[in-house]
Amino acid sequence: MQKKDSISRRGFLKGSAASAVLLTTGAAKIAQGAWAAGSDVMRIGVIGCGGRGTGAAINCIETGLPVKIVALGDLFQDRLDSCFKRLTEDEKLKNNVDISRERCFTGFDNYLKVINAGVDMVILASPPGFRPSHLKAAVEAGKHVFMEKPVAVDAPGVRTVLECGEIAAQKGLGIVAGTQRRHQLSYIETIKRIHEGAIGDIVSGTCYWNQGGLWNHGRKPEWTDMEWQCRNWLYFTWLSGDHIVEQHVHNLDVINWALQAHPVKCVGMGGRQVRTDPAYGHIYDHFCIDYEYPNGVHVMSMCRQIDGCANNVSERVIGTKGWSNCANMIRGEIEWKYEGANPSPYVQENKDLIESIRSGKPLNEAKQIAESCLTAIMGRMSAYTGQEITWEQALNSKEDLMPPKLEFGPLPVAPVAMPGKTPFI
Amino acid sequence: MVIMMCLIKAEGANKQPEERPISYTERIPGTLVKFEMVGVPGGEILMPDPAKKGATKRIKIKPFWIGKTEVTWDEYDVFVFKLDVPEGTSENKDAVSRPSKPYGTVDRGFGHKGYPAINVSYFGAEQYCKWLSAKTGRKYRLPTEAEWEYACRAGMPPPEKDKLAEFAWFWQEKTQPVGKKSPNAWGIYDMLGNVAEWCTDLSGKPVLCGGAFDDMAKTISPTARKYQDESWQANDPQSPKSKWWLSDAPFAGFRVIRVK
Repeated sequence: MQKKDSISRRGFLKGSAASAVLLTTGAAKIAQGAWAAGSDVMRIGVIGCGGRGTGAAINCIETGLPVKIVALGDLFQDRLDSCFKRLTEDEKLKNNVDISRERCFTGFDNYLKVINAGVDMVILASPPGFRPSHLKAAVEAGKHVFMEKPVAVDAPGVRTVLECGEIAAQKGLGIVAGTQRRHQLSYIETIKRIHEGAIGDIVSGTCYWNQGGLWNHGRKPEWTDMEWQCRNWLYFTWLSGDHIVEQHVHNLDVINWALQAHPVKCVGMGGRQVRTDPAYGHIYDHFCIDYEYPNGVHVMSMCRQIDGCANNVSERVIGTKGWSNCANMIRGEIEWKYEGANPSPYVQENKDLIESIRSGKPLNEAKQIAESCLTAIMGRMSAYTGQEITWEQALNSKEDLMPPKLEFGPLPVAPVAMPGKTPFI
Repeated sequence: MVIMMCLIKAEGANKQPEERPISYTERIPGTLVKFEMVGVPGGEILMPDPAKKGATKRIKIKPFWIGKTEVTWDEYDVFVFKLDVPEGTSENKDAVSRPSKPYGTVDRGFGHKGYPAINVSYFGAEQYCKWLSAKTGRKYRLPTEAEWEYACRAGMPPPEKDKLAEFAWFWQEKTQPVGKKSPNAWGIYDMLGNVAEWCTDLSGKPVLCGGAFDDMAKTISPTARKYQDESWQANDPQSPKSKWWLSDAPFAGFRVIRVK
């Protein structure tokens, strides 16, 4: 399969202020990539203190590299407090945690305060809808970034991430995304063999994330619409991108990685069959998408969050000489199984990032994760509208899902998308 | 993942075997779930001596019963979801604690009814045995690796590699329903392949025996061993990680034994 050319710059609508930075020479800016003068310790701020933000902070400490968690930010005080407690009361973490209450911030602008709290690197783990603006602020301020997936929920967000990736490259900043399979040795070794032709030319693929339902925090009477939605962010497209983007992006990312390409177009369907209660916002509970990649290679993708059904979380690529599960197995003319060590990919992704920064060759995964997110987003667009969607259409889509104002108050829930009626924007 | 292959050819029983206990069917009280226990005659087996590298040790085996198949989800679900306790009633507080709700798709979508329970930790398998013993009034436990290997060999040389597929599921994408291949000489199914089975090794450590569905033929044998490492829970995002479930060990299951 031929590698596709990189995304054309036509996709960028606005020459943002950040682009002006590109005029300064890269070399002069590399210095920004160093950390606080005179210190060898990477100072890290956490933006988004839920389970994954807290987990990523702990994973950074588990790398054994010289790091200190120094600042926390979250929209909500209670989430911040539980993270603060977890990080400051654990004997095993103590030596790598130096968070004072002055460096804990809440509210919608917490991310700006964390970025300006004397940190070298930030962990971005707020709900995905906020990721592009948080990434942009971090990169503009010259910070290294570990960001959870997905990194955007709509095309404007994807375009921002692509732009940030280019600026980060100019400035010598590291960006790693939480698609941890990219840092899992068994996957790396398997995909390497696929790229070397172990299964011949890839002709098709499948990927799945079919599982039961996820958490729901309900609604307290004192919560405004905005607070209820942010606390139950999975169920609102502006926050999560819907579960095809929020969860299934992992599998789509593996397929893009194995095929060394992104889709050309897709046709998909989906709906909201079982999870119909308004407590679950307006997202779908199942999707099935037929993605077409270059050279007419089709990949069938399925994702579902419905209890009591057949489960499957996996990928598979089929080639002219065999097939692979992308994870640890090659079958066909070559029969091979990965038998090596498999350290925690959650620790490894942070280790890879921090070591790359320390060695002066920072990793930059912005483009690959932006493309994987857009792959998922175009699938959602196709299922929501019922239309065939091309990559260019998706990339240039003007649909901006962010509410006009970020403040606690009323926020109507958009109606459930209806294929054939919901327009493509 | 280290696979310990010991090169010593252990022998099966080499004396007149003692009498075989009579096989029986056990029903989990409060449910319709049944499983079969196969009688195994007593005897001896040669095993590598954990205290002396390269040396072997003759181990005496008392007669016992062993699960005819690996423990299936049908059985393990009863334990996990309290299917033996009538709804609305509560267990007494001394009851064996039950597993946490598994994260994600614990059966991997491999199949449920009639399929072996997978991603089960040694602790989970042990607790199941305690719970089952309390339920039935008969003492069930996990086998030692000597008991397991003795039952696996059934007094015969292991199948040749070209005959292996007759007895074992290996080099597959997923587990298969239990009891679909030929049983060994003592009528026990799937000792080799399908899921590797939790045992206690000679030095008291948890070890998985026999190889699994995702192993290649070369690593399937009565002497195949796997010891747990961190990769078996690599994708468990919880902190601390679950003591009941191994998110990344779909090859880990178990069967129970009962000593006469």
